[in-house]
Amino acid sequence: MNARVVLTLVALLSAGPAWAQSKGQLRIPEFSALSEKASETVTVTLDANLLGMAARFLSNEDPEQAKAKKLVSSLTGIYVRHYTFDTDYAYPKGDIDGVRRQLNAPGWSRIVGAVSKKENTTVDVFVLIDGEKAQGLAIIASEPREFTIVNIVGNIDLEQLHDLEGNFGVPDLEIDTGKKPAPAKPPAPVKPPAPAKPN
Amino acid sequence: MNENFEDELRRRLRAVDAPEGFAERLMAALPAERKSTVVAFVPKAAHPARHFGVPAALAASLLVAVFLGVRVANDREIEQQKGIAASQQLMQALRVTSQKLDLAYEAVNSPPTAGDEENRS
Repeated sequence: MNARVVLTLVALLSAGPAWAQSKGQLRIPEFSALSEKASETVTVTLDANLLGMAARFLSNEDPEQAKAKKLVSSLTGIYVRHYTFDTDYAYPKGDIDGVRRQLNAPGWSRIVGAVSKKENTTVDVFVLIDGEKAQGLAIIASEPREFTIVNIVGNIDLEQLHDLEGNFGVPDLEIDTGKKPAPAKPPAPVKPPAPAKPN
Repeated sequence: MNENFEDELRRRLRAVDAPEGFAERLMAALPAERKSTVVAFVPKAAHPARHFGVPAALAASLLVAVFLGVRVANDREIEQQKGIAASQQLMQALRVTSQKLDLAYEAVNSPPTAGDEENRS
């Protein structure tokens, strides 16, 4: 009996790294079979080490890269799976629903959910709030011929995400950053027009 | 005839005491000190090593240093390639993220048509 308990404990301890994920990190399936079927595939798996390495190679001269460098400094992972197909619904919706189910966990909030039945498009944006900080961001977008899963893990500065607007085309989703907006500047005094000189 | 021969043989082969002083004379005839017959074997190859040992060690050290230097340079190059690949992946990930956020933005801000439903919290 004792041996069985010890063996169970050992098994649980040894299995630790398998489920020891960062807060906000989703278990995204590999979708390895889809890579052959897809006409375009984007698979990005950047953990904290690789993000640090990537940040070192971003240029401070390039404004786009400089902002990205600032954004990723507090992140611990970026995971993207994006597949485009030549035919409609060539991907298993069950796998996506499996990821979606993970976002029902406490802490995750859906900040945007848009379903277009006309175009069969679904876009959901979720944020994991811990205290007053966003610790994770997830985007699940599915269209008939493509689907995308984005998972950003770490201390996400939503203001910095706002700052990316215009650089990567990130739109202003009016995400509440939890900070009060800066008071509007008073309008500059209008100078009276100079009197016309008599001819 | 035979008996006589055997008797004669027995008589001649009987044990006879050594003559007086035989042992002393024999010992005196032996050399006073026997020379050692052990020969030290020194391989001939050991002698050149004495001359070329230090240069060979230096050459070996130089070779090891060059090997390590090449290896460190290779490691750095591999790390640099990994870093560049990671930064490209990062930029690609941010672009995909922005595209999808853009899609969400369009869906939220476009006027609702029949069959569309939108919510935002």
